[in-house]
Amino acid sequence: MAEAPKPSSSVKLVLLGEAAVGKSSLVLRFVNNDFQENKEPTIGAAFLTQKCNLPTRTIKFEIWDTAGQERFASLAPMYYRNAQAALVVYDITKPTSLVKARHWVAELQRQASPGIVIALVGNKLDLAGESQSTSDEGEGEDGGDARKVSTEEAQAYAEEESLLFFETSAKTGHNVTEVFTAIANAIPETSLKSARGSGAAGTANRAGEEQRVNLSGPRDAGAKDGCAC
Amino acid sequence: MFSNLSNIVQRAQQLIDPTQGLNLSNSDRNPSKASLFQSQFRLPSSQTPLYEINAELTIPPSNSTRGDPDHDRGWHYAGKLHLSEAYMCFSTTPTSFTQSASTSTSSAFTGQTNGSGPSGSGFTFPLCAIRRVERLNSQNFQFALAITTWNGLLADASKPRDGSGSNKNVREQRITIHLAGTRQACERFCDGLKRGLRAGVGNVGKLRKVVAECYSEHLLRTDDKANVSPPDAGLGMAFRYPGDPKKLRDRAKMRLWAEYLRDNGRNMMLIRQPTFHKLIRVGLPNRLRGEIWEVTSGSLYLRLENPTLYTDTLAKYKGQESLAIDEIEKDLNRSLPEYPGFQSEEGIGRLRRVLTAYSWVNADVGYCQAMNIVVAALLIYMSESQAFFLLSALCDRLVPGYYSTTMYGTLLDQKVFESLVEKTMPILWEHLVKSDVQLSVVSLPWFLSLYINSMPLVFAFRVLDVFFVEGPKVLFQVGLAILRINGEELLDAPDDGAFISVLKSYFARLDESAHPKSENPKLRAVTRFQELMVVAFKEFSGVTHSSITELRLKNKDSVLNNIESFAKRTAIRNLGPDSKLLSPEELGSLYDRFYNVLYERQQRDRMIQEELKRQAKTSRLRASEILATTAPNEVEKGRVGLGPSTSLMDYDAFREFLAGMSKWAISDSSANGGEAKYYGAKKVPDTMSPWGNGPEPAEHEFLQRVFNKWDVDGSSALTLQNVVTGIARIKGKKDIMGTITYFFELYDDDNDGKVDREGILRISEALLFLSRRGLEGTLSPGASSIGLNGDISASDSQGSLPPEISTNERFLGSISAFIRRCFEYADPDHPKNQDGQDFGTSTSDEDLMVDPNTFAIGDDEDDEEEEEEEEEDLLALEKSPPGTPTKAKKTANLLSPNEESFDGASTDNESRRRVSKAKAEAANAALDPAHPLHITLPTFRMVVLADEILEQFFESSFPTSLHIIEGLQAPSSSYYGPSLTTFSNLGFSTRSQAQAQSGPMGGGRGLRGVLDNIVTDGMRVATEVRRRMEEAQRELEKNALPSQRTEDDEDDDDDVGVAVGVRKGASTDIERRSVMSTDRDLLDGADAQAGSGAASKGPGHDHNLLEVDTAAGRRRANSASTTGGSAVLEFEG
Repeated sequence: MAEAPKPSSSVKLVLLGEAAVGKSSLVLRFVNNDFQENKEPTIGAAFLTQKCNLPTRTIKFEIWDTAGQERFASLAPMYYRNAQAALVVYDITKPTSLVKARHWVAELQRQASPGIVIALVGNKLDLAGESQSTSDEGEGEDGGDARKVSTEEAQAYAEEESLLFFETSAKTGHNVTEVFTAIANAIPETSLKSARGSGAAGTANRAGEEQRVNLSGPRDAGAKDGCAC
Repeated sequence: MFSNLSNIVQRAQQLIDPTQGLNLSNSDRNPSKASLFQSQFRLPSSQTPLYEINAELTIPPSNSTRGDPDHDRGWHYAGKLHLSEAYMCFSTTPTSFTQSASTSTSSAFTGQTNGSGPSGSGFTFPLCAIRRVERLNSQNFQFALAITTWNGLLADASKPRDGSGSNKNVREQRITIHLAGTRQACERFCDGLKRGLRAGVGNVGKLRKVVAECYSEHLLRTDDKANVSPPDAGLGMAFRYPGDPKKLRDRAKMRLWAEYLRDNGRNMMLIRQPTFHKLIRVGLPNRLRGEIWEVTSGSLYLRLENPTLYTDTLAKYKGQESLAIDEIEKDLNRSLPEYPGFQSEEGIGRLRRVLTAYSWVNADVGYCQAMNIVVAALLIYMSESQAFFLLSALCDRLVPGYYSTTMYGTLLDQKVFESLVEKTMPILWEHLVKSDVQLSVVSLPWFLSLYINSMPLVFAFRVLDVFFVEGPKVLFQVGLAILRINGEELLDAPDDGAFISVLKSYFARLDESAHPKSENPKLRAVTRFQELMVVAFKEFSGVTHSSITELRLKNKDSVLNNIESFAKRTAIRNLGPDSKLLSPEELGSLYDRFYNVLYERQQRDRMIQEELKRQAKTSRLRASEILATTAPNEVEKGRVGLGPSTSLMDYDAFREFLAGMSKWAISDSSANGGEAKYYGAKKVPDTMSPWGNGPEPAEHEFLQRVFNKWDVDGSSALTLQNVVTGIARIKGKKDIMGTITYFFELYDDDNDGKVDREGILRISEALLFLSRRGLEGTLSPGASSIGLNGDISASDSQGSLPPEISTNERFLGSISAFIRRCFEYADPDHPKNQDGQDFGTSTSDEDLMVDPNTFAIGDDEDDEEEEEEEEEDLLALEKSPPGTPTKAKKTANLLSPNEESFDGASTDNESRRRVSKAKAEAANAALDPAHPLHITLPTFRMVVLADEILEQFFESSFPTSLHIIEGLQAPSSSYYGPSLTTFSNLGFSTRSQAQAQSGPMGGGRGLRGVLDNIVTDGMRVATEVRRRMEEAQRELEKNALPSQRTEDDEDDDDDVGVAVGVRKGASTDIERRSVMSTDRDLLDGADAQAGSGAASKGPGHDHNLLEVDTAAGRRRANSASTTGGSAVLEFEG
């Protein structure tokens, strides 16, 4: 799908959320279209980049994937500084993780750059019984419906706070790309800075391989979909 | 150990310098000698330098060096010999811990380690490792000691083995030390050594056990190794060590070490010579790596202290759960997952056990992500137990605060690192600033996981080798070198992302040649990692322990402040829906107050403990007991930023917390040395006071009830959340019904919606307690409560009185009315009292007849109690300052002066008497145990709303009395004393003395006094009130025949009676001053009027001792030198 070069801009995105909700896995799915059962915990933060191709422009995400353990929280301001977008992730099988997510949303709303686009993401949808493509049980949960946080509850909260809202599975890839695409679309044109130096940046970024991003409505995103390369 | 005394000194020093090893507190500018000593020789915190002496160490020539002309007579080192409780240490480096030494001066010497860690040549022998000490004759020295160690003899003592020196026996490790000092100094040292050796004999068993786990023992075995299984040298033995052994030249290294250890002793008995440091720099051989890490980090000595701590801890907490364990569990499968050992149950199990055990012994740290990676790395080279102790050494000494709950150590070292970059690489720094790259984003993981995560493992371990011997400065040196080497590329990197990827690719190529294109094959052979090490330790040799310590001190406050403001922000935001009832400022202030109280109490405890220990010094026995209970690791705590101090508030802290915000929560009593405080001028800061410099908090049943109410989960401790919720319900709603309900529920013990007679009395006591320093908030000055009887007119007529006075006075009346109404409306079985407005008329003769009987029973008891109480009062008075008048005893009759006022009974007397009588009757009926009664919430509400002042109290006064933001203005205790509303405060009249003396208002004062008195003794209040009611009955009769009386019990009774009867009569009062000044005295300096609105009224200084010129005192009191004095004067007048 080679096209004429479109305007390209980079967006700093930070992931926040309780430990082991799957932040790094979401990123890994988005960036490498990969999933690892045992991912080393993030120390401090990990940095990755990925491009997202919109019809009118290209967004290069600079993704800051932060450590989730409570005591790392005081490091977070270092990472969300100047962020234009944030993914606040919780685990749909763990109600406490939504509480923590609310805390993060509050923190961001008060402390991060004004106008930051926040998406609330309930991860591990593959563990919910009713969901699509319930592959196999994962990560020590029962095969049945391990969901403890209802979509409605989270959705209502997201609406109240004007957040984007998605439920995803980093394991199956469901909805992962959609999250990033939605964020890319939600970033106001005005806050986009022009893309910064390309080449050296982003070892994880396999530039050039840009894929179509479907903007129309939610699809059952297969692992191969989306702008993950 | 032989010297408890010095132990105590050291303990005390630790208390003064709780961060020893942390290099964080101000005391590190002048660290204790003990901490420097421990830091230089990596000794446990139980060790203190006892003796030191100049000495020369002679190491005999070894097998391998025999024939070397330079050393055929062995090696000689001049240095200093130190003796602690259980260790003898020698170092060639200048002493780093003379009393006046600061960390910087002490580490100005730059041995290999620049002042941190075992530097120079020398040894650190546990005394139990010394087998024999002989005194030699020497010409040049006063003393020469030949020291023989257990080196090589511990493993299997039964079998004689071949040593290098002799045929049948292991060559003994024998060194000679010549002491250079005065004869006396030498003798002292030797005496100390003797005692230490004797004490150490018992520890040889421990030593044997610890040493058995050291690989060197196996390595140097001379007998057949085949049938002996080697000690555990980590997972690497089973799963291979990382890296290619050939490339690492592991065998060669092993041979070198074997030789070195043979010559210089092994593990505990190892002697450091220059070769030792060189051998470390080239990288440790796999199987010895763990052991050498133990030796250089000092964790070996921790293990010697308590060899079974690891297994004991695991056994002790077996099966228990904790948050840390949950967190650990999440990470077990993701710790060095690429190493085969951690894909096995064996490896995972080891990791789990070590992390879990550590989370139990250091619950403050618990578990922090990154520890899993570090421990996993350690476990490749050492046994579980070794890794456990090395983790302790890491967390406590090597990287203090890195893994704490706030990670302040990590953040601080990032700041330090940034300063170093700015200083050493200004161009790069400028670039970072310009392109808005935050360095710590890159470097934080380096430090937190000790490069294990950043570099390929083989190289990370090389860094660790040096790190353990030279200390944390190594992390900085390596970090700086990385940036320096990649400087060019980094200057081209425009943003964080580019920056990170430059470094990522650098780490990936560390094994490549640093100079691939060089002609010189030698140069070509230099790897990038070798280049890195050279740059780190050569180019950045200026980065020393001292420069880092200095930078840490410089940045400490700002880092902690940042953490604390973040923590505060987060905590406040997470306080839940109730907190929304309070303003952000109020929440912020509550947060500060909450933690300040906890922090200050903790500091105070520490000081008190320290003081106790100081006192304990006088007794060795006691001292040793105390020592036994002292925690081994003193770490600076308390500041939120430093990690988990306590976040729970117990009842005493709660009282102190309230006393910082509310007048009524400050004690009136002079107990516990409070006198000195409240007589302001004399106040001396009392470090031993449990309340510090603040006012002593009051103790009252009401406080206990509030505490219990707030303590929703019944844990006898309040969280910030509890406190905020509690206060939000009182102060946040601005809803009188809510406050009334809240109050009612406080007293509805069984939650059945009813409060019984006892409860009613207690509520009234609480109201008195809360109002005794005057009411605050919006009170309509002219308000008169509808329930008030005739007296009101009198009060209204007192145009000259300021409104506040009358309000406060009337509040007494309101409370009195409250009690009466409660009893009136309480029990439906008593319909006769339904008409509260016309109380007197409703009283029937029958009632009068009955009442005396009901009281008769109680009388005796009450009298007894009263006597007891008087005795106590007297005691209290005796404690009062010298100014106490000689007539103090008379003051026991609290109310007697009122009698006099009756003499001059005014026209009001009639009505008062009538009222009192009626009241007494009502009370009698109410108190009749045959008529159990209760009030319900609606009744309570009605009663409160029926009285304007009470209504205002609940609507405004009570919520307002919690001064969350501004606190109480003057923190000095002298402020609080005067602020207490007592009788005299209420009633400084402008009238003449004569007028003052007369008048019914004495009764009002009497009531107030009684109440003041009551509130000082929450435990007895209910009885008191009952007694007073009975007295009211008697007063009926007495009033009929007013006559002059002397002070006696009856007088007392009368006054009380009047008080109850008059209710709000106090408001009109001209002269309440004198009567209750005795109470004031009891209440300890309660007299100042500043707090009450009355202040404007009179020019008096009630209490000269307080020297508070509140202008509020009663005229007559001016002359009195003490409050007690004023009471007496009044009395006589």
